[in-house]
Order: sequence, then structure tokens, then C-alpha cells
Amino acid sequence: MAQALIRIDGLSVTLGQYPVLQKVTAQIPHLSQTVIIGPNGAGKSTLVQTILGQWPYKGSIVFDMPSPRFGYVPQRLDFDRHKPLTVKEFLAMPLTKSPLWAGISKGVKRKVLEGLERVKAQDLFDKPLGTLSGGETQRVLLAAALLSSPNILILDEPATGVDVYGEQLLCEILEDFKKDYTIVMVSHDLPTARAHSDWVICLNRVVVAQGPPQDIFKTNILAATFGLHQSSVDIKDAEQPTNQPTNQASNQATKQAINQPTNQPTNQPTNQANR
Amino acid sequence: MTPLANLYDLFGPFYEPVFMKRAAWALLLLTVATSASGVIVVNRRMAFFPDAVGHSIFAGVALALILQTNIQLTVLALGLIIGLTIIFLVGRSHLAHDTVIGLVFSGAVALGLALVSRQPQATAGLSRFFLGDVLTVGDVQVLALMALAVISFLFLWAFTNKLTLNSIIRPISLKPDLSEYLFGAYLALVVVVSVQAVGVLLVTALLVAPAATGRVMAASFKGMFWASIISGILAGQIGLWASFQPEINTTTGATVVIVNVLFFALAVGYRRIVPVKG
Repeated sequence: MAQALIRIDGLSVTLGQYPVLQKVTAQIPHLSQTVIIGPNGAGKSTLVQTILGQWPYKGSIVFDMPSPRFGYVPQRLDFDRHKPLTVKEFLAMPLTKSPLWAGISKGVKRKVLEGLERVKAQDLFDKPLGTLSGGETQRVLLAAALLSSPNILILDEPATGVDVYGEQLLCEILEDFKKDYTIVMVSHDLPTARAHSDWVICLNRVVVAQGPPQDIFKTNILAATFGLHQSSVDIKDAEQPTNQPTNQASNQATKQAINQPTNQPTNQPTNQANR
Repeated sequence: MTPLANLYDLFGPFYEPVFMKRAAWALLLLTVATSASGVIVVNRRMAFFPDAVGHSIFAGVALALILQTNIQLTVLALGLIIGLTIIFLVGRSHLAHDTVIGLVFSGAVALGLALVSRQPQATAGLSRFFLGDVLTVGDVQVLALMALAVISFLFLWAFTNKLTLNSIIRPISLKPDLSEYLFGAYLALVVVVSVQAVGVLLVTALLVAPAATGRVMAASFKGMFWASIISGILAGQIGLWASFQPEINTTTGATVVIVNVLFFALAVGYRRIVPVKG
């Protein structure tokens, strides 16, 4: 594992009466792509939102840099699609003090175009935001995140509602970004997580496992966490006892995971991170 | 000669006598402010906000008579309270704008009726607010409308981007930030001033119709904003002129609103023939 950029220790988040995250201990390595996987309701989005400072928490989140700046790409853009607003206007708004109705300066237009070029979306510059496809919207949101000059990029299930081509393009773009940014992505798309991640955190309110994908995707803990959904990932080489029904293995592993309040990582102890 | 005579003369021979020139200026200043603010109102789906604040004016007038306070200031203060209450409730109750506005609207009307029933002489002062009359505006009101136009320019210069961005990426469940409260207060001010010219019944039209026309015509925010202002100003001046033609001879406020609605219908018709590019 590369040097840890974010160290999360004993993190608990309770929303209302509901304990969403329980003593989560995990690390996010520097200049690489970490994918947080887990079933629905596992607290994946809450974990990244807590890193972004949106929820109160117990425990600690320590950054190995003086001033972390986040670029956040939400799951989807939930807005009135008939609202007249072009992509360039959407991206220019945070970059300029003068209002949209006064026009966008050449300098800001150039910055917006550069941002779009980085996500291979320069052809969307003049398009109305509401007419974009799911994949195009995600790339525009990624451009918006880049334009805020972040050093940490956080993406919350960016492949939701995106077609196969759009997802592949997004993955290629993110692959290029690894050298410049620390990327944290929430996903429940296991094949994508396996193919494009350098570090995987498997979450189900507690950290069930964390480590490099080649290790994580060989464990029966993953099958336990995802239950019946395990077929969605190629886990033929998972180290499951062949004489034991999968569900039984799942249940045991889940119990084991939930009974581990300190969440010792299964594959690689957290304290072995190279600093 | 009034102090503003030179200003009024800018309209030259177009409007005579002088109260027409005054009305023309009042409508010009007012429609710039309402058409520009209306873009944010329409994009944020707050079309009934002006109605809720407008109807609080009845309660304001009755309250001023009961408390023996200045009517204008009391009406403005109550309008601000109603506007800020809507913004506060939208953030705290997790309800959509339309539900909160409907609730506050009913509450404001009920409060007005209750107070008027205690103070029957309040009804005498209400007709001016109910129907409004742009032809009776004096120099002071023209100056007040100039101040409103300046405030609108400054507010929209500072907050257009923030409010637009909030309406796209900010979930409704988050508490409103300062810009939203300032918008509530600013909009309440625009409504209270507009009511003097066109009355409670028509105030929504001045804020909503030009922006709706702009929205139908444009594919960009900038396009919508300027289309709204141009259509609002044109409808105001054409409405004023038409209301004075002997063959038409109708109430000015209502005529202005009818022209605004016609512009909207024309825009919809035009866009059916020539769709927006993009």
C-alpha cells in the first residue's frame, strides 16, 4: 500500500437514532484509487460524506497533508431538467464573481473548456445541462469537481444510470487521474471495483475487509457481505470451502465481521501501511 | 415643475399628460426589478411566494391600524417576516416549497381576515393594495422604485450564481444558507413595492410571466434573464399605452398583466414552430 493519505480510526456516525457506521478503522492511500464497496445501506455514502465533513462523528479522521481540498462528484444531479442552463454556465458559476447574466469572461471560458477537455467532454461546452445523458452528466460533474482544484476526488457511485460505454470512459479518465489525485469512489459494481481499484474497503457498517483488490476479491468475507449478490462478481477463485453451502459461509462470515468491533483488516493489518 | 421633470421628459411626446410619464417610469423601473428577480423565482419553483407575501399585506394594514403604526413600514415588516418564515420552514420541515408556501399563504390570509374583522375600518385602506394603481404614483414612489431597481441590481449581481448553483446541487434537506434568507427578504421587498402598482391580485404575474416567457424562449441562463427583462419591459409599456387608447380604455395594471400573458402564449407558440437548439 502506498503511503496513507487519510487515516480513519474508530469512526462512528449515528444519524437520528440509527447507528450508520460503527468504529470504522480504515486507510486511504495517497495518489491511488480506493473503492469503497458494500451492500445497500452499508454506510458507504455516509462514510465519504463524513470525510467531507457533512456529518458529526466520533473517532478520528486524520489527513497526511496540511490542507486537503475535496472535489466531490455526487451520485446524480437531481434538478429540473428543463431549466435553461448550459454546461459552460454550470461550470463557470463557482469560478466567477460576476453573475451569469453579465456573461462569462474569456478567461473563465478557457478554464471551463480545459476542465471539460480533461474529462473528454469539450463537445458539451454549449449544450443545455438538462439534455445530457447519465454518462455525460457524470463527466461534467467530474469536470466541476476538478475545477475546484482539489487534491482528493470523491465520487459517490458515479456509474449509477450510466451506460456501459459511459462507464468505461469514466474509468479510463479516472485511471489517468491517479497520478495527480487521491481518488475515493463508492461503488457496488464489483467487477469495476476489481478492475480499476488499487485499494478496496469492504464496508457493511463496520469495515469487513480492506486491502488490495487481488486479496479482497479472493476472500469469502466478500461473499458474506454481498450475500446473494456474490454472483455479480467473478469470485470463482474465492477461497471458500467447497463442501460448505455459500449461504452458511456467508452467515458465519457476517457474524464474524459484526463481532469484530475493532475491524481488524482481514488481509493486511492497517498498521502495516507504509508511511 | 417637479424635481423629476427632466427624467419624465425623456419619454418626450410618447406619454401625455405628466402622470402618464410618471406611470411609464414607474412601470419601467418596476418591471426591470420584477422580471430579473422572476428568473430565480421561476427556476426555484417559488411562483406562489409573491402571492403569500402579497396577501400578508391585508394583515399588515389591519395591524398598522390596530397598533397605530406607519402602514407602509408595518406592511413591509410583516411581508419580510412572511418571506423569511417560508425560507425557514422549507429548510426545517423537509417539505417542498409549494407545500410551505400554500400553508403560509393560508395563514397570512386568515390572519388578515381575523384582524380586519376586529378592525372593520381597515377595509377602507385595503382597496389600494387590493387593486393597486400605477397611474396615481407620485415622485416619492418613483424615487422608491429607483431605489428598488438599484437594490435589485446589487442583489442579483451578488447572489445570482450562488442561488442558481444551490438550486441544482444543494439538496432540499440541507438548512437554507444566508443567501436564501437574503433572497426571501429581498423578494418580500420587491413584492410589497410591486403591490402598490398592480395590487395583490396581479403581483404574481409581474414576477412570473416575463420569466416564464424567457424560460420558454432560451436555452441558457443568460438568454432567459435578458428575454425575461425585455418581455417584462415591453409588456409594461405596451400595457400602459393600450390601457389609454379610447377603444380599449381598461385598468392599467390588469392590461399590463394581460399583455404579459399574451407574450407568454406567443413565446410558447413560437417555440412549437422553432424549437430551442441544443
